[in-house]
Order: sequence, then C-alpha cells, then structure tokens
Amino acid sequence: MEFFKPGRQFDFMGLRRVFFTLSAVLITGSITLMFVPGPNYGTDFRGGTEIEVAFNTDIDAAGVRSAVERSDFANPDVVQVVDAQNAHHFLIRVQDVTAIRDEDKDAIRRAMCLQKEGASPDEARCPPAARASEVKFSQGGDKIAARYDVDPDLKQIVAQIGAVGTVKLRPSATNPQITNPRDHRVEIQLQSKGDQLMDGLRKQLGASAVPDRALRVEWVGPKAGKQLRDSARNAVAISIVFIMLYLAFRFDLRFAPGVVIACLHDATIVLGVFIIFHKEVTLSTIAAVLTIVGYSMNDTVVVYDRIRENLTKHRGKTFAQIINLSVSETLSRTILTSGATMLSVLAFFIWGTGVIKDFALAMVVGIVVGTYSSIYVAAPLTEWIDAKMGKGGKTREVGKDAPKALAKA
Amino acid sequence: MQPAKRNALVVIAAAAAGGYGFFRADNFWGLVVMGLVVIWALAFLLPTMDGPWRIKLGFVAALFAGAFIALWPTLESFSGGAFKCPSYVKDRISFGIAPGLDLRGGMRLVYTVEVEEAIRDKRDRYADEMRQELATIYGFHSGSGVVTREELAKLVGKVAVSTPDSAVIRVSFTDPGDLSKLDDRYNAKFKTELSMSRGPGAGAASFKIRTEVESAIREKAVSQAKDTVNKRVDELGLREASVTTRDEDIIIEVPGENKKAFEDIKDIIRRTARLEFKMLDEEGARDFFGSYKEADECRSGDGRCLPANQGFRVFDESAPNGPGKTVDSHFILVNKLPTETQSDCLKRVKEWAQAQVDAKLVPDDHEIGFEEHTDENNEANGWRTFFLYRRAEVTGDLITDASVQADQERMGQYYVAISFNQKGAERFEEVTGANVQRRFAIILDDQVNSAPVIRGKIGGGRASITLGGGDPEVQLQKARTLELVLRSGALPAPISPSNESNIGPSLGRDAIGQGVKGMLVGSGLVLAFMVLYYRKSGVVADVAVLFNLMLQMAILASFSATMTLPGIAGLALTIGMAVDANVLINERIREELRAGRSVRAAVEAGYEKAFPSIVDGHVTVFISGLILAQYGTGPVKGFAVTLLVGILASLFTGVFCTRLVFDWWVRGAKVKRLSVGAEF
Repeated sequence: MEFFKPGRQFDFMGLRRVFFTLSAVLITGSITLMFVPGPNYGTDFRGGTEIEVAFNTDIDAAGVRSAVERSDFANPDVVQVVDAQNAHHFLIRVQDVTAIRDEDKDAIRRAMCLQKEGASPDEARCPPAARASEVKFSQGGDKIAARYDVDPDLKQIVAQIGAVGTVKLRPSATNPQITNPRDHRVEIQLQSKGDQLMDGLRKQLGASAVPDRALRVEWVGPKAGKQLRDSARNAVAISIVFIMLYLAFRFDLRFAPGVVIACLHDATIVLGVFIIFHKEVTLSTIAAVLTIVGYSMNDTVVVYDRIRENLTKHRGKTFAQIINLSVSETLSRTILTSGATMLSVLAFFIWGTGVIKDFALAMVVGIVVGTYSSIYVAAPLTEWIDAKMGKGGKTREVGKDAPKALAKA
Repeated sequence: MQPAKRNALVVIAAAAAGGYGFFRADNFWGLVVMGLVVIWALAFLLPTMDGPWRIKLGFVAALFAGAFIALWPTLESFSGGAFKCPSYVKDRISFGIAPGLDLRGGMRLVYTVEVEEAIRDKRDRYADEMRQELATIYGFHSGSGVVTREELAKLVGKVAVSTPDSAVIRVSFTDPGDLSKLDDRYNAKFKTELSMSRGPGAGAASFKIRTEVESAIREKAVSQAKDTVNKRVDELGLREASVTTRDEDIIIEVPGENKKAFEDIKDIIRRTARLEFKMLDEEGARDFFGSYKEADECRSGDGRCLPANQGFRVFDESAPNGPGKTVDSHFILVNKLPTETQSDCLKRVKEWAQAQVDAKLVPDDHEIGFEEHTDENNEANGWRTFFLYRRAEVTGDLITDASVQADQERMGQYYVAISFNQKGAERFEEVTGANVQRRFAIILDDQVNSAPVIRGKIGGGRASITLGGGDPEVQLQKARTLELVLRSGALPAPISPSNESNIGPSLGRDAIGQGVKGMLVGSGLVLAFMVLYYRKSGVVADVAVLFNLMLQMAILASFSATMTLPGIAGLALTIGMAVDANVLINERIREELRAGRSVRAAVEAGYEKAFPSIVDGHVTVFISGLILAQYGTGPVKGFAVTLLVGILASLFTGVFCTRLVFDWWVRGAKVKRLSVGAEF
C-alpha cells in the first residue's frame, strides 16, 4: 500500500507566502485572544466554590455531575467521599465564585460602621458593640470576617447587613457567629454560588434527595498556584535554550530557531483554539500542550534531518528546492505518523467526555498544526535565516561529519 | 559440542543452582536475576543465526521476562483480579503503578494552620527589633549590625520589652521620664505596622499589631504553609498529589490506598521543622534551677518546690563557661513514670515550665528548653532541662541544604549535615567565635536536639544534627525524614489535622470507562493500520510498540509512579514516537529497495539512514523532558518522567528489537522479498 507515487515532488515552497500569512494571522489572533477575552482558567488555576453534600437518595458521581451541569455550572469536579454515616457524600467543585462588587463592599463597610482611624463615630447608629474595627471579605465572596473591640451585638449586625440590600445573609440560626471570643471575631455568611448550586440540585434531583443544608460551602484556592506556573514557564524557557544548543551542534545555527518558533506557534494556536471554544484551561491542558510541543519537535527534526542529508547530496540546488525535495521525500512518513497518532486521538475525541474530550481536542488541533508547522514554519524560517546569513545563493554543506559519527556510536 | 554452547550450558547450570540458593534464602530478586540469566543463556542455544544475534535475542527475551514480572502485580490490580498474579510474586514486589486521584481517588487530609502562632512569632520579632532599637537609643549599641546579647543585657533595669498578649508588645521604662526616648524616629519605624498607645501606667507604651497587618500575616502563613507542604509532597515522589487552601485550612489529596504510606506522609507533612540555635545561660541555670527543692526536702518558705511524686529531681553539673572557666550549674531531670510515654512526660514537663513562666519566675529574655534523656542502655527515660537565652542566634531559614551522612567514627550511626547560606554562615561564625567554651542548644521543633560545647570558631557555615542512638534502620529513616523536611523549609506555623476522609476518583467511572474504550479503539486502529500498510513489517512494528508500552509501564511501576491523565498523555506521545521510529525505518527500507538494492543491503541502509533522524527526534524530546523533570513540579514533573522513560524504551524497542527480526529475515530465513507492503 502506498499513498502516492514514489519520487513525486510537490512545490511546497511555492505557497510559502500564502501560508506564512496564514500563520501570522493565526498567531496574532491567538495572542490577541490571550488578552481579550483571555483564557478561561479552570478551578485548577483559579480556585472556585466547593460544597460538600450528603444526598438522601442513592446517586452516583455521574448522576451528581450531570445534575450540576444541568444547573448551568460547567465542568464540575465531583468526588465521592467515603463516609460511614452518609453513603452518598460528595464533594462538588465548580469554578464559579460569588463576586461582591466594590461598591457593595464599600456599602457593607459603611453599614458595619468601619471607621477610619481617629474619626469620631456616630454613637447613635454605631454603638461600640456594632462598630467593626476590621471587615474582611473572603475570596469566595460568601463570607465576611469582622472584628470588634468589644463583645458584638449580633442582632444589630444582622440589621446592618440587611439594610445594604444588595447582599443577603444565608438563613441560619448560627449566622452570624462569633468565631473567636478573644478578639471578638465574627463570621457572617452570605448567600453565594454554593446556595445557588444547592437550589439547582434540588430542582434537578427533587427536593427530597437534597438536604436542606450542605455540610460545608467554601471557597477553595487553586491547586496550581504561582509556584507551578512559574516552574513550568522556567522549565520551558530553559529547555528551549538547550534544544537550540543541541540543534546548533547537530545541524547548525540556521536550524535552531525554526524548531523553537514552530513549537511556540503550535502551543499558541492550541491555546487560541481553546479560548475560541470557551474550553477551560486546566492542568490536563498544560499536559496536552507539552505533549504537542514534543510531537511538533520530533516532526520538525525529522524534516530537518532530510534537509541536511539532501544538502550534502544535491549541491547546486537552491535551499527552497532542497526543502521541496526533502518534504516530498518524507511526506509519506509524515502522513503515516500523523495519521496514526490522529487515529488514536480521534477515538478519545469521539468517545471521551469532559476533561478527556478537551484533552483530545487539544491533541487533534496540535497534531494538525504540529505537522503543518514543520513544513511551513520551521523549513521556510530556516531558508530565510540561510538567505540572511549566507546571502542566498547556492547551498552549503551542513554538519557533514556529525550524523555518521553519531550513527556509528 | 562447540565450546560456546558448552559455556552456555555451564552458565545455565550455575544460574539454576544460584537461583535455587536464592529461593531457599528467600531472596526474590536474586532468584529473578538468575532466572533471567537462564533465559538469556537458553536463547544462546538456539540453532540459528550467529552468536552476536543470539546474545541480543537472549537479552531482549530476558528483559521481556523481567518487565513482565515487575508488572505482574500491577496487571492484576488493573485488570480487577481477572489476570492472576501468584501471591509468592505479589508479596515480594513492593512497588507498582498506583492509579492517580483522577482515576481512583485516595485520601483527603485537611489541616488547619495555627495562624495565631505565626502572629505570636511576628510579635516576638517586633519585640526583638524594639530591643535592638532601644539599645541604640541608650547608646549601648552602635546602630549598625546585629546587637549582641551583652549589649541587650545592659537594658535590664532601664527598660523592659514584654509581650502580654498575642498581638501586643509593651515597652515599660523604669524611669517614667525615659518614655520620651521613644522619639519620632522610633515611632516612624514601627508606625506602619503597629499602632501605639500610652500606658498602662506611667512610663509604659503598648504597641498593637494593626488589624490589616495581622490579616496579611495570617494569609502569608497559610500560603507559605501550602508551598512548604507542596514541596514536601513533591520530594516524597507523590507527584500527583494535590494541595489547595481553603480559608485557613490546607487540603492535601494523596492518591492510593496504602495505609502505611499515608501514615508516613502525614508524619512528614506535619513536621514543623523549625530549627533554632540558642545559647545556654549556665550561670542563670545555676541560680534558676538551683532555687528549686525536690518535694521531700521542701518546707514552706524555703525556696521553690518541685511537684511531688512526678519524677522531678534537681541535678548538679559542671558546665563550661568560657575559656578556662567552669560553673557548677544545675538542671532538672524529669523521669518518665512507668505508666506514661515519652511524649506524655514531655507534656507534663512543658506544663510545669509554663506554670513557672506564668508565675513570672522566668525572665522575659530566657526560656526553659528540654532534651530527651537516655539511661545507660540508651533508652529514653525522661527529659532534662536547659536554661536558654530566648533569642535565637541562628535560625533554620538560613539553611541552604541538608543531607544524610553516615558517621565515620561510629558504625551504623547517622547524622544530618546542614549548610547555611552566606548570611547564616557569617552569623554562625560570629556567634561561635564569641562563645568559645560555652554550650549552645540546637533546637528542633521546640525540643533541644543536642547541646554541644563550642570548641572554637566554626567557619564555612556547616553544622550537624545527631539522631540519638538506636537501631541503624530506624535512625536512617529518621535522618531521611529530617533531611526532607529541612530541605523543604519550616512551616511558618504549626498545622493541626482537622479532618481526613477517603475520596473517590475525580474523573468519574463513566468518564474513565469511555477513556479506556477510546484508548483501546484508538490503539487498535493504529495497530491495524500499520499491518495494513506495512504487512509483516507492520506486525513487527506493532509488536515493538506493545513491547515498548510494557517496558515503559514496568519501569514506571518500579518507581511506584502514579498514573493520571497527564501521565497517560506522556505515554501516548512516546507510543506515537515509537510508531514513528518504525515508520521512518520502513519508509527508508522501501526507498532503498526502490533504488534497486538487495534485500539485505536495503535493511542495512534503511536502519543506518533512519537512525540519525530517530536519534535527533528522540534526543530533542528527551532534553525537554529532562528539563521539565528537573524544574517542573506536580503534574508537569509526572508528565516529564513518563516521557523520559518512554523515550528510552522507544529507542530500544523501535531500533534494537525490530532490527533483530529484520536481520533474521534477511540472514537467517534468507527471504527473497521483504514484506513491507509494497512490491519492488
């Protein structure tokens, strides 16, 4: 079996201006998308709202997940907790968080009589028992932590918050609650996304299945903090340097930038596609991007290798002709390898759900652009650098001794 | 019989005998190695091809068998018991691939950061700064560099800095007129972080940590604790654990089901690992501990009494106190009661010490330290006290590295060597230089680890922490833990467990099922496609790819790696690359055949010419994997390790193993036509 007649040559480089423009548009577009609207970071990076619920009826993780999704919360994490008392105890994590607007925050601060230092308080409205010395909003927007100088008057605090109007207290006998009597700290719980999620679950699963109150509703921090982001970025930067060094040593300096630019090109476009489709960027996405970079690198190097080989074989041809010849010669390999990889990834894309489907999407896009970039980004770039460095003209021999020396070793 | 064959038979006999020996000694891995040697030698006896080929074949066969054994228990657990592994093998292989949090779940641990402790800590640091500032104001200290203890001692009687409440620092002057010494410059230095008020009483001023500063301390303590726990979890090799924060809690999710492993992890996570070096006050100890009387000799009005019937006793010791000087000092030893454990005893001692502090018997700048006391059989039998200056001369945040070392002089003893950074080394040298022939205490998590005598100035910024006597195995274990926690840094505040539960997989069984289906269908399609396109050569490539997968899993199992979705991505990439290696070779062989070469020459040239491409591709990806593994954390690292292992396995199976089959075709079976899916 063969895809096309061996020995056939295609004029890839004839179209390089068209594709160069295309790449430039795609890259510019993707970079723009990264700022506006910007990637949709998932709970892994941003944190979110986590609720713990013990359901009253028999239900499994898949059931809970679909109920959460039907309540308009995208990409929830649903984890079952092994619990002797509650057989149907789940942790549900969604990326939505309650946001309190800044003007509401100011209104709450005013209502709770938070004073600037030295200002004289309005004694009638703000007796010491209802005069907060500190008001702090939780990141999840569902909690206010306040401190008072004396034992606080909880009833008056409820009235103060009620007067704000834009926020609602979560109805409960123990809300607000004194959490630390030593420094008169009070926790005030507000209606939040967690309550909205509970309402949604009640609607989907029936009021009898869902308990009145969640075991816990809380804002959770991100899994992948600054540390992970920084370390990933540094690792990628350092590996780019080392790969360029290796390629400069194995081929020569003209080849090194092509691989790196092609990889960045692929990674950027994959992220761009994610933003267009409103896909969540999670830790799995990072893994997918790293995979694509590896794939693209391998693909580019194979084409490079043939270019190097043909440079020594066919002196007198222009660089563009050499690229055409090399890409044509390796074309059936390119189709085979990307075709085979694509086959396996497509299966994931078709049958997968949620995270797996997103992962497969990144891979599908990545394989396409990875294969494309070897031919239309890396190779023309090398030609361009060659023209700049060697002032065009005929080809020169490259890394003549290196391949044989390594092959024998 | 040929001599080579005779040699092979001798090897088989010797390996079989050795294997029996290992079996009797219950040395499992010895037995496995001997078994592999037998397989290797057996392959050499095959009546085909030349010696080098048979040696290579034997190597591949032995590797296959080894990989299978290493993977056997994992295969059983992955297939849900459908694929049986004999318990003889299962009991002796302690490693295996554990499905990650997303695939199987694990344990969820919730810890609360005791942020109050971080606030107290910060308060103490403000108090230290104030003492230094006051020493400067009174002219006892030059105002530059670190204030010495002698300079601070001169403040006694003039001004006292105390900490009456967890966020309050009080400066009390003996002469109320001195209050004006708290000038504008002094106030300006602390104004942004502390709010000042006069009183209580004349000549005193109170400084309270501002609420927003206190909130910032709380937040910082939580985020630092999270980072530290993250580092520790990473160093433990649990690459796929997740660490998040929630208010003042840290949530750690650890994959797996192994109860014992969880216990070890909990141990390491909870270690505060706060390291401090403090000087002993020998004269102070003589007066302080000397003022106590044991209960049975104690009459009312006759000094301070120790509790009765609780093992409290006062001892004398001759302590070095500067060059050529000693002092007849005292310490209190509290013996463990027969019914209690060491830690119960420590709790009791600490309660007693706190009572002395509350009774204002211990000066503000001193504290009582405790060291484990051992009897002549090296068994812990209680705690002894030290009278310490409260100020830490050197602290653990100045450490750059820690490593386990075997003691050269005493066999089977270990210690942890620590090295300081520039600043720490300078401090250490300065302090040791100024305190020759005195004792200092190395304090780890509020317990005195040891109190050696400083023989001379110690330069170079190195110190060591001993681990007491006992079983070398246990010592090594302790040393490793200590190394890990010191390296990852101290927690900014202690953390206490508040909740733990077992959790299910985060991906959902339905999603996993579909994922498995996708994987099976996808790889099935790829394998079928290869056969369709390359015929028999495609079959060879498929076998190589499957062998690659197996090798990769076996190596990962031997690291006890965690298998998660990102890990599977790494696996998928390397399988793609393994396929690619074979495609490159087969395409080359086709090209050479097309150019009219003989079958044998085409195979030879095909491998030789495809090799540089394959190597370049693999090396490039390997480099990026290496760097991601070195600098990456968490899932990035997990991905990178899988990738590295896969690349090596792919080079081996894709080039070395398939070559064996092609060589056999062209030289052994001497085929006239090569089945590569195209006719030439």
